[in-house]
Amino acid sequence: MSTIELTKLIKRYGKVEAVKGIDLAIADGEFVVFVGPSGCGKSTTLRMIAGLEEISGGTLRIGDEVVNEREPKQRNIAMVFQNYAIYPHMTVRQNIGFGLYTSKLDKAEKNRRIEEAGRILGLEALLDRRPAALSGGQRQRAAIGRAMVRNPSAFLFDEPLSNLDAQLRSQMRIEIKRLHQRLKTTTVYVTHDQVEAMTMADRIVVMRDGHILQVGTPTELYESPVDMFTARFIGSPSMNLLPGSKCSIMASTATEGDILIGVRPHDLIARATATDEKTDLSLTGTVTAVEPLGPETLVHLDIDGTAIIATAKDKFVPAVGSTLTCTAARGSLYLFDAKTEKLLSRS
Amino acid sequence: MESDNLRGAAGGRPGGTAAAMPADRLSMRTKRLLWVWGFLAIPVLFYTVIRFYPTFQAFYLSMTNWDLVRPAKFVGFANYVKLFKDPQFWKVFRNTFTYLIIGTPLSLLIAFTVAFFLDRVRFMHNFIRALYFLPYLTTAAAMAWVWRWFYQPPPIGVINDVLALIGIPQQPFIRSTDQALFSIMVTAIWAGLGFQVIIFMAGLRAIPTTFYEAARIDGLGEWAILRKITLPLLKPTTVFLVVFSSIAFLRIFDQVYNMTTNDPGGPLGSTKPLVLMIYQTAFGSYAMGYAAAQTVVLFTILLIVSLLQLWILREKK
Repeated sequence: MSTIELTKLIKRYGKVEAVKGIDLAIADGEFVVFVGPSGCGKSTTLRMIAGLEEISGGTLRIGDEVVNEREPKQRNIAMVFQNYAIYPHMTVRQNIGFGLYTSKLDKAEKNRRIEEAGRILGLEALLDRRPAALSGGQRQRAAIGRAMVRNPSAFLFDEPLSNLDAQLRSQMRIEIKRLHQRLKTTTVYVTHDQVEAMTMADRIVVMRDGHILQVGTPTELYESPVDMFTARFIGSPSMNLLPGSKCSIMASTATEGDILIGVRPHDLIARATATDEKTDLSLTGTVTAVEPLGPETLVHLDIDGTAIIATAKDKFVPAVGSTLTCTAARGSLYLFDAKTEKLLSRS
Repeated sequence: MESDNLRGAAGGRPGGTAAAMPADRLSMRTKRLLWVWGFLAIPVLFYTVIRFYPTFQAFYLSMTNWDLVRPAKFVGFANYVKLFKDPQFWKVFRNTFTYLIIGTPLSLLIAFTVAFFLDRVRFMHNFIRALYFLPYLTTAAAMAWVWRWFYQPPPIGVINDVLALIGIPQQPFIRSTDQALFSIMVTAIWAGLGFQVIIFMAGLRAIPTTFYEAARIDGLGEWAILRKITLPLLKPTTVFLVVFSSIAFLRIFDQVYNMTTNDPGGPLGSTKPLVLMIYQTAFGSYAMGYAAAQTVVLFTILLIVSLLQLWILREKK
């Protein structure tokens, strides 16, 4: 177990800078998730931490040591890959035991650790099977087992759930989270799925174009995004953005230049009957589609050419084509500068 | 014909336009089968006439004393008895297996080494690969003549020149009964190397890089990665090449024939493989029945060796 510290970390491929000098301190035992669209540098950063990519600039510390020039094996980290990287010619037991290949433990201790990992991951009955006989989720668990047996100082996950179907993914999400709570090993987890980031992370690192945009707890990022990108990336469905000119804002926000107004679909309520509740934002448009989810319904609206999503509560399902007014309560609006995309204020 | 085909292919699928055809009364499955076998008929017919019939004919001929002129007379196993008593056959048998037992592993070892390192070379990668592949495209006759020239005594032979340079006495190579077989084997290995290298490289490329990365993180060294990951995962490729190259060495002919044209299989039969013996028996002595018996023996050896290799190298469940 140890801390990981990135200082002005840079990765260049020829003239292209994939990671443009990022700073981050990961605490001992913390679960940090790197999230961002593909090509944002999150995987490259992870691979630099692992030692699979050379570091072009800056320093990387694991524990108290600078490990820039250390081989992967000397860094005592374990990594789980998107395609599992478990060997088809070995049984699950051999695959898990492979993590201990270079360790100097005696055979009994190795076996004890393999059995223990198998028990924790629910693979006891499958230890003597080949990967071909396992499901995707079981293969990924075997890969996690191989990472676990070494007692590494940090776990690195590179989009480990991307190859799994939706149901397995949500199940494995919980399993990885439980595992972390149990082992309390520092974990760096890369994903492009904001749901994974929100549900698993102690802290989320939002990356874009080789930069870190924002670092914070899931709630912090959801409540106070620093810019439009983070605001739209975190939360599902994405935050609605409307040109300031289109809205009848009653708030007395004095702003210079163009602004964009952001409001989360869950804060934008479509009601069957009018309400006299104090609102900051009131929008009227045509219903283009509805997505009933049971307790609530997502309503897609067209507001003078801008597509937005609102929520209808209390089993109210509006008819497609009808005209509907939806309102957002005071305090749920985000005002962004249209040019810099930074958050200006909330109201 | 072409329009027929198009109509038929469409008729084989649901919603096809073959409504008025009598074939419409057949089920879709039957129609598909008819089409499949229709297309298969040509190669099946071809192989039956060109391959299978002569093969079975050879089995029959091996039991006769046919000499191209007089009608064949059935002689039972006389040809086989003669063959197994023939000291020349056993010499040829030993030669053939020397080509096989030394040639196959040696060529695969060299090919793998080349492929393994070439796979990591970025500089002029395609050019180097093309150089290795070039001999594969060259005719055996041209190659053999170039190598014969290499093996000449000094000052003509390049190899002897180099040996002289570093102070090693000149070697007779293809003029010696001890060295000729190995000299020819070197040529044969060189000729087949390009193909084996290409296949090995394709096999190496098929191994996901994350396998290597995972191993590096687990702390394995190069040698351990090679032994524990690369070689086991390359097994299907290796099995293919072992069988393929074994068959090639068991059937070696053109290299030997072209490098020893003055006395094919010489000196003193020291390089003669089974196929050359068959050739000489059939088209030198016109003993077709005897040659057929040798062919059957070769066929049996090929079959046993191939099956044995597939069995030894099979995927253990």
